[in-house]
Amino acid sequence: MQMIQAVLDGSASAAEVEHFKLHMDDCLPCIEGYKLEKSIKDALQVKMEKKCCPQSTVVDIRAKIGFGLVLLGFVVAEVKLYHLLFSC
Amino acid sequence: MEEEIIEIERYSEKEKYAVFDKEFMPHIDSMYNFAFRLTNDEDDANDLVQDTYLKAFRFINSFERGTNAKAWLFRILKNSFINDYRKKSKEPSKVDYQDVETTYNSVEDAEMDATTDLRTETVQDMIGDEVANALNSLPVDFRTVIILCDIEGFTYEEMAKILDIPIGTVRSRLHRARNLLKEKLKSYASSMGYKTDEMAEQD
Ligand SMILES: [Zn+2]
Repeated sequence: MQMIQAVLDGSASAAEVEHFKLHMDDCLPCIEGYKLEKSIKDALQVKMEKKCCPQSTVVDIRAKIGFGLVLLGFVVAEVKLYHLLFSC
Repeated sequence: MEEEIIEIERYSEKEKYAVFDKEFMPHIDSMYNFAFRLTNDEDDANDLVQDTYLKAFRFINSFERGTNAKAWLFRILKNSFINDYRKKSKEPSKVDYQDVETTYNSVEDAEMDATTDLRTETVQDMIGDEVANALNSLPVDFRTVIILCDIEGFTYEEMAKILDIPIGTVRSRLHRARNLLKEKLKSYASSMGYKTDEMAEQD
């Protein structure tokens, strides 16, 4: 069963995949097992709602690491440059 | 995370923001979904995601551009959840993982037999909320491997890095988690009146 799962998860070794292919042709329990595992994996992937991160959290994170400060920094730099170029 | 701090200054201030924006931010919805599935609470998920991104920025010099940013971020989130969140969690204190693993090791054979009669058709008939309820009822370490593998599509190798465990342990933990999930799905299905094998045999 662990091998069936590894094949389904795309994490089986080449030898395991080969063995699985040969074995699956004539083993009903394995065929049934594979179908069941796949149905559960599909249910988890497709049926469950995928929660999205609220925009307010994205904004908070950016503010906290100082994306705002960087912008402010540019403004300050520009003002200084302006002074440098035009004040004298 | 702490053990991974690299002293070199890999990035300039400007590069830090560029890496953060291009490599980290695109994963924020997956991160939030992971946090929500771990905590089952939107506020806690928000806190956990914020925490993780602030840490990621603080330790950005230990991230190598072009490597797997998603796995790197998931690892930080998982560690934050274990170290910070679980301690102050409102949930009744969880069974230590080691206990859970030992328990399921010893009952694995019985478990195998008990789970084989869940029908594919039953699973296909279930709706998302029912699957989510079954998943939520698993101990958090089992829930975690299923989320990483089946919902986020990480490989076993990536999961081993995220969880700091050998690949063999990933495989066996996943296997146990799935057996338990099948049991939950099955008992959920029979309580909801879905057809199960026992009922089918009575026909
Ligand atoms: Zn077989």
